[in-house]
Amino acid sequence: MDRNKQHRQVALMRQSLFDQGLLDEQFVQLEELQDDANPNFVEEVVTLFYRDSARLILNIDQALDKSPLDFAKLDSYMHQFKGSASSIGAKKVKSECTLFREYCKAGNGEGCKRTFQQLKKEYALLRKKLESYFQLARQVGPVETACRRI
Amino acid sequence: MEKMGFGNVTSTSKTMKIIDTEKKISVLIVEDDLLIQKIHKVMMTKFGTEVQLAANGKEAVDLFLSGASFDLILTDLEMPIMDGIEATKQLRSMGVTSMIVGVTSRNHDSEIQAFMKSGLNACYVKPLNAEKVTAVLNELKNI
Repeated sequence: MDRNKQHRQVALMRQSLFDQGLLDEQFVQLEELQDDANPNFVEEVVTLFYRDSARLILNIDQALDKSPLDFAKLDSYMHQFKGSASSIGAKKVKSECTLFREYCKAGNGEGCKRTFQQLKKEYALLRKKLESYFQLARQVGPVETACRRI
Repeated sequence: MEKMGFGNVTSTSKTMKIIDTEKKISVLIVEDDLLIQKIHKVMMTKFGTEVQLAANGKEAVDLFLSGASFDLILTDLEMPIMDGIEATKQLRSMGVTSMIVGVTSRNHDSEIQAFMKSGLNACYVKPLNAEKVTAVLNELKNI
């Protein structure tokens, strides 16, 4: 596949992440921080997010198994998780975090559990798509101009 | 742009620009979350500032007690050992006149008000972006 076609494929893959509502403007902010001094910044940040948030997911899973549920603790965990998700522009994950916190405030355990299952799905889906995107982007190499169309 | 304390500051440019200044602005980022530390450090460095990190409020206060000084402090609210409110109160009571800007994921008015009352110059909701950083650095330049 010629180079231009490969770059277009990367660009299309990137655009689809925004079109599907998986990423928001914050991801673009991260991309703008990437340069020769930090050539893999975005991928490093995303990797760090998934590494750190794995612990939070485990904590939340364990907290949701307890009875009665400690909604204050659950809300606190989710507040942390939402902050990290926001920092990488994980739009759908962030929405599920917000919904989870609303269920916490309402003391709705079933709502929390249901939302958390959905959150984990969105989290895994985004991870898979970003991994594919970064892999292709690495193979193709850097583009000369940033594509901001979102 | 969610912020308090600077009045109507606007920035039309979303691109990063190095603030023209004779010496590099020194920034202390007070933040316990490694992900946010990394993002904010790279962001502030890209704006041409010199950055140092503190993992909590106590580390920030200890730095000032050891004689360090910074033009700008960006501080999170919730941190272990010493939070942003306590750290800001202590720094102000020590006579620290640096610009102190809160950066928090809390977005309820009462929480932001409490943080501002501790002695902040401004407070922003996370995450920081180019527009917010530009506003902060331009305000610092005008002081």
